[in-house]
Amino acid sequence: MSESTEANAEEDAIIVALSDYFDGTLPPDKKKEVEAKIENDPAWKAIHDEMIGTQESTKQISGLMKSRVPALDQKFDSDVTNTIHKRSGGRFFARKTLGDRVPVGVLLAIALLVIVTVAYVLWTSQTGSLKVHKDPAPKPPAPTVIEKP
Amino acid sequence: MSDVERALIRRLRDRDERAFRELLELHRDRVFNITYRMLGNRSEAEDIAQEVFITVFKTIDSFREESKFSTWLYRVAVNHTKNRIKYLARRHERKHESVDERSEETNGATSGSPARIAQPDKALQTAQSEKLIQEAIAALDDDQRTVVVLRDIEELSIEEICEITGLPDGTVKSRLHRARLVLRKKLQRLEGNHE
Repeated sequence: MSESTEANAEEDAIIVALSDYFDGTLPPDKKKEVEAKIENDPAWKAIHDEMIGTQESTKQISGLMKSRVPALDQKFDSDVTNTIHKRSGGRFFARKTLGDRVPVGVLLAIALLVIVTVAYVLWTSQTGSLKVHKDPAPKPPAPTVIEKP
Repeated sequence: MSDVERALIRRLRDRDERAFRELLELHRDRVFNITYRMLGNRSEAEDIAQEVFITVFKTIDSFREESKFSTWLYRVAVNHTKNRIKYLARRHERKHESVDERSEETNGATSGSPARIAQPDKALQTAQSEKLIQEAIAALDDDQRTVVVLRDIEELSIEEICEITGLPDGTVKSRLHRARLVLRKKLQRLEGNHE
């Protein structure tokens, strides 16, 4: 780890501890520890002072931006839904098809089961059987005897 | 997540248009506020907010209900906005609206309220302050902008910001502190220039 990365990691640790200190989320013993460090360690004191300094500007920014909520165009809702309709050819707002609701694997399994069932019924059927009835092999023609003149 | 929210998501997954309208009603202002504060440009922000809702509707099946729905929605909003910031930066198209336009377009307590009519100077001052802040936010890098907008303007918790950005707790806190420092310096400089 380089020196600057180490220094950054150390500074980050101080920032995290002080953020928790300002948020009031530290347990009492940790809080005392942090207070002692602010008192005795210049690095802690510097970041602590920075945080005090930014608190006021943060409060101002937060308050002002909350009072100035930008208004959305009244057509926003219809614009969004129209875009969806346009891009999807109406499909997105159509109810889901069976293929969307049931996983493809399940549909394939059902299709296979149906095919096997139909094949079995046809196989065992007397009228529409799939069985190939093999005719007995035709007898070879009797040898013809050519009489000598 | 509440039962009402769960039911809404189920209806969205069934492609119920009315559910989509309810979703817009519930979240459009907050989503637009995030995109607007991060981008600082009204038409770009509206365009991104639209894309956010279209994406959410298209990908609602991938929402696994492990986090709050709003957290997931804001994550989509932040990611879309950051992509747009990068795109705009590449094309050098960062533009900001004038104070006059903004003061006409904003609503709420200030715009058109009796207080504003009674105190036009104060309203103008507020609009100018807002413009300064917006300029200062726009000058932050996109990672710093994200945490400042989510924490100091949207007032989301650190945990929510961690979920939205996918960053660890410590990184969010240190990034926020550094962003606030930069923001304060920029504001001081901008205020000095405008005086």
